[in-house]
Amino acid sequence: MSDVAIAVKNLSKSFKIAHQRDGLPGYRTLRDDLMGLPQRMLARWKRNGQPTSETFWALKNVSFEVKKGEVVGIIGRNGTGKSTLLKILSRITEPTSGGADIYGRVGALLEVGTGFHPELTGRENIFMNGAILGMKRVEIQRKFAEIVSFAGIDKFLDTPVKRYSSGMYVRLAFAVAAHLDPEILFVDEVLAVGDAEFQKKCLGKMHDVSQAGRTVIFISHSMESISRLCPRAIWLNEGKLIVDGPADDVIAQYSATT
Amino acid sequence: MSTESPIVATVADLSATPIRTQARQQKPTFRIRPTKGWAPLNVLELWKYRDLLWILVERDTKLLYKQTALGVAWVVMQPLVAAVIFAVVFGRVARLPSDGAPYLLFVFCGLTVWTYFSQALQHAGNSLVRNANLVSKVYFPKLLLPLAQTLRGLVDFTVTLVVLLVLMAIYRVPPTFRLAVLPVFLFFMTLTATGVALWFSALSVKYRDCTNALQYFIQIWLYASPVVYPISMIPERWRPLFALNPAVGFIEGFRWAVLGHSVLNPSLLCITIVMSLVVLFSGAFFFRRAERGFADII
Repeated sequence: MSDVAIAVKNLSKSFKIAHQRDGLPGYRTLRDDLMGLPQRMLARWKRNGQPTSETFWALKNVSFEVKKGEVVGIIGRNGTGKSTLLKILSRITEPTSGGADIYGRVGALLEVGTGFHPELTGRENIFMNGAILGMKRVEIQRKFAEIVSFAGIDKFLDTPVKRYSSGMYVRLAFAVAAHLDPEILFVDEVLAVGDAEFQKKCLGKMHDVSQAGRTVIFISHSMESISRLCPRAIWLNEGKLIVDGPADDVIAQYSATT
Repeated sequence: MSTESPIVATVADLSATPIRTQARQQKPTFRIRPTKGWAPLNVLELWKYRDLLWILVERDTKLLYKQTALGVAWVVMQPLVAAVIFAVVFGRVARLPSDGAPYLLFVFCGLTVWTYFSQALQHAGNSLVRNANLVSKVYFPKLLLPLAQTLRGLVDFTVTLVVLLVLMAIYRVPPTFRLAVLPVFLFFMTLTATGVALWFSALSVKYRDCTNALQYFIQIWLYASPVVYPISMIPERWRPLFALNPAVGFIEGFRWAVLGHSVLNPSLLCITIVMSLVVLFSGAFFFRRAERGFADII
């Protein structure tokens, strides 16, 4: 019986970079596109379908495997494709080439408070956030009391979230996500927000999750968090996988270049 | 193997076999591969996420009522005020026929349906762009966003329906067995609205000027539909062409169920129902194909 949780092979993602046309910035309009159709069709026929020079590769041929229960950290400078990798593995966006196989239910925390609306109350936002993360309503109801006590906002459940302090907001958002209970968890730098106590609570919860045998992939700029939580780390630079190995070694190599 | 180009063959291989080829390999929960061309509708997944759909409907209903000062009153006022204005302009001044019914009642019937239709379209049209943060940060079937708007509109529709019943009482129009067929027309009303909503919401992600185009489109469509005039006003040989407008079926049908007196016949009804289904399925397939690029360009 296989013990692989995530298998990634030659994953690549490119984006087309649009340049300003005729000095008009902003989004494309239907009018502009229809007008430019004959020119573009001619250009494409001449190029024979080759990619244009305006392609930016966010990820280039990334391959690695993660076994069930492993906790892997991903490090790298800003803009090197770490978030893009998690977005692809969470199926938010598609790869350009290559592929990945996922074995197990995925929970992705790419942002704190996804789906929160300032006009809705804490209670309403718990349901909204939970549902968008993939929980069924009965599941949310079952875990409701736990979520509220983890966040510590019992008194403010029926106040609109716009009145919460930033700390309360972030604690509530993480509380919902923490009770997601997926087999594979992706976490993207969510710990960057919040005070030291909150960060400690998050790390603690993630540690519990990994002890329970869940697979975790964790992006962070905090080398301390990575070395505390992850036995293994991957270093991405300019979309390419540079090193994949024991966390302390990878961190040492990464730190040597900065 | 086949004589296809190597690139195509590689993509085909990749989707057919798992990445790790080991004996007794368990099947992956999902395979992530680049997709090309048309995507399946995946209705099963929509069903799996029905809790989220319901929560989106609840959320948007609450938000809409929290943010408007008049709340329910606004839902009632809109079609009523429009009906009065139309009754004066088209009923009195232009003297348009109304198939034997009092003009105000006649036009309010059409407007009950039309208000739902135009409101649902406008809210659904920019639903993806308005929820850009959800689209770019979480995985869920994006089709739920415009769908939640077309379903949410039914709540307002029910309120307007009550006003219609009051008007019926005032004009002493008795409810008849025809009302039993009402749900069928409501069903096609919702289907058509969803189909058009899917088209426009998907287009709005790439072309932001589509929301403006939508408002204009709805205006024109109002006058191309039998809201202020009955189908009987259209010369008989042009009626099949007129029936290509999917709105013809549910507007005239709804009015028939309430008031009676309509020249709507089964063949016209067939044409317009088929158009509704065409709009729905083409919208759904277009949306699913465009969906894969949403997170990148939103």
